[in-house]
Amino acid sequence: MILIIKTSVVTLLAAGVVLAQGKPPAPGQSPASLPPPKTVTQQTFPAEQIQAGEGRFTSQCGFCHGRDAAGGETGPDLTRSALVAADTRGDKIGPLLKTGRPDRGMPSFDLTAAELGALVAFVHAQKTKFEALGGGRRAVDAADLATGKADAGRRYFNRKGGCSECHSATGDLAGIATRYQGLQLLQRMLYPSGQPAPAPPKVTFTLPEGQTVIAPLAVQDEFTVTVLDPAGARQTYARSVVKFKIDDPMSAHFDQLGKYTDKDMHDVYAYLETLK
Amino acid sequence: MRSLASLAVVIGIGFSVAAFAQSVDPKDLLHPPPDSWLTYHGDYSGRRHASLSEITPENVGQLKQVWRFQTGQNPSIKATPILVNGILYLTTPDNLWAIDARTARELWHYTHPRNDAFHIGHRGAAVYKDTVYLTTPDCHLVALNAKDGKVKWNILIADSSKGYWSSNAPLIVGNHVLVGISGDFDNLPGQLKSIDADTGKTQWIFYTTPPPGGTEPESGGATGGQMWMTGTYDPLLNLVYVGSGNPTPVLNGKVRPGDNPWTCSIVALNPDTGKLVWGFQVSPHDTHDWDASEVPVLVDADFNGQPRKLLMQASRNGYFFVLDRTNGKNLLTAPYATVNWAKGIDSTGRPIPNPAKEPAKDGVLIAPNESGATNYRSPSFDPKTGLLIVSVQDGYGIYFFKPEHGAYGWAGADYGVAGKAFLRAIDYKTGKIVWNHPIGDGAGAAGVLTTETGLTFSGDVPGNVVAFRTTDGATLWHQAIGKVGNGPITYELDGKQYLLVGGGSSLYAFALP
Repeated sequence: MILIIKTSVVTLLAAGVVLAQGKPPAPGQSPASLPPPKTVTQQTFPAEQIQAGEGRFTSQCGFCHGRDAAGGETGPDLTRSALVAADTRGDKIGPLLKTGRPDRGMPSFDLTAAELGALVAFVHAQKTKFEALGGGRRAVDAADLATGKADAGRRYFNRKGGCSECHSATGDLAGIATRYQGLQLLQRMLYPSGQPAPAPPKVTFTLPEGQTVIAPLAVQDEFTVTVLDPAGARQTYARSVVKFKIDDPMSAHFDQLGKYTDKDMHDVYAYLETLK
Repeated sequence: MRSLASLAVVIGIGFSVAAFAQSVDPKDLLHPPPDSWLTYHGDYSGRRHASLSEITPENVGQLKQVWRFQTGQNPSIKATPILVNGILYLTTPDNLWAIDARTARELWHYTHPRNDAFHIGHRGAAVYKDTVYLTTPDCHLVALNAKDGKVKWNILIADSSKGYWSSNAPLIVGNHVLVGISGDFDNLPGQLKSIDADTGKTQWIFYTTPPPGGTEPESGGATGGQMWMTGTYDPLLNLVYVGSGNPTPVLNGKVRPGDNPWTCSIVALNPDTGKLVWGFQVSPHDTHDWDASEVPVLVDADFNGQPRKLLMQASRNGYFFVLDRTNGKNLLTAPYATVNWAKGIDSTGRPIPNPAKEPAKDGVLIAPNESGATNYRSPSFDPKTGLLIVSVQDGYGIYFFKPEHGAYGWAGADYGVAGKAFLRAIDYKTGKIVWNHPIGDGAGAAGVLTTETGLTFSGDVPGNVVAFRTTDGATLWHQAIGKVGNGPITYELDGKQYLLVGGGSSLYAFALP
């Protein structure tokens, strides 16, 4: 329901602060930029169990993770997954399937022990197969991306691209190439998303008395705007009854996508790669 | 609120309908009555335009929910329901419900045996005489008795173990049940099958790329071209129009030189023989997964001052095409979304792919992204304004291919970067954008419906069903019902106009109080 209660606006005002902007990015690594992690505990599975798992994987996992488990449009390459590499007969995969990863769009699955066992068998079998293949298909290696010129990228960053209006090589981007590599670095450069999540847009409300309150945006549509209050609770307002503006730094990233040449993109990537 | 007495009447009608479920004469499909929605598109033209006039821009703000039917299942509704004689037929993968349209009471529910094929979505059922047809993920076509859901026959239309699946709402033409199949994770030929509506026997198969062991049609070594969407039909020309999907291997174009017909094409087929009458390729030599499966909308209207039989498609590749549907000749090609992959338009109206925008080892930034400028979500044509109204995404993706990716299935990698969703009105005479209404980030999932009174119904990304004014796209009404994943429909029942739309895994009926 829509809350248009003045007290909740006052609650925000009382806090009097710009609210949490998300955690600082934790060290992360692009799975595709590294050789596939080796399976810690070698395991073998009966052919029938693998075959049963293949069927189930195709129907329930394949659309996101690819029929061969080597990654799809929305799901990562499981043959390069650190969790799969560390898994022994489902001890890591099983709990993950039970809870899902709702924040990343992965649903939970309610499976019998036999169903889980089959899935685990298939994923391990695929991993073994792709390890043997080397550089499995659908993978993008960091070396593949290294065609740009860092000097040209620095110039673009500071001049034509306008990146330096919001970012700094010695500030927010210091060490960026240590935190992200390869495809993940390129993706976050083009349009920051994924985990850790980029800071949400800021909503600045102007109260009738002229004071302003700033809160992070949770979600919006054409009719309502929902922000997080200092306690992290969602507060929803009808757009028609509040005066506000939304500062979304991501809109500059979106606009930039229409301006980059492929050369610009690779050059800026090469420049960011130097920020270790 | 409804009184108990009138509730009893409604229940009474419900029972009588269930008891006397009637059949669909194939001739009705030529002129669907207002108390019906007999095919996926509502009629053969694919315009999704209704002539009903009770709900208007002035009173649409008073629409109220009449009922809600919950499937009780996780998959969201992506199907357009069929309405025949007061009974709705609704599908999700492996499921078909017959529902009393007056009460939302379930009359019967068919569940296909659990199977391991792709369960991505389902577009809907088809009805012929007293039979309802359902395609299944594991590529069965099941014929059910419309009255009680008993299986009449059940045939295999493709081998799902090879990588085919089906989400198709069949198109009925005469006694032909035209069914399409999906599958582009494997190198498989695309096909459209005509099945005898009474017996389940295969009448003909049209291949977009050569079947195993075959050499026709010429495809330059490509497989693929899956025909997974429901086509349209011109009864006077006796031509069926269907869009075909992308070639395989998907991102590796090097091993399949040339244009790769008839992938990413609109084909005109004789429904009695399955023979190709003409084809128009909207994406020659596609390397971006841009199926041309989007609805080929049939309109009779003036073009450059001449009355013409037109076919228009807002295609996944970001271009809007107008063709003369008698012969497939191009009349207009214009971008309607952000595009950066073509060098220009050739003399026959086809975009010319820019080789520099083929997937590459170090990645290429492409607009649109893989999910396309639009996709399966149906557009609607409003004859009064001459607008084709389309759920559009302006988006970018990065595309990769290196020889190590091979030549099987996807054969490369691509990642969506970002997108923004719009409902966009295209003037069919010029391709110019008349209005553009933002509906959220990413891509929309809802189809579009227009009505005679100047209303456009669709859904936004956050999860509202929305009514817009057709002339300028202004918002007139909305209701938060969850993400709309299908095309809204409308019909008249007992003298009252209803709006039906899926939100999440529920189907909602709205009407004026």
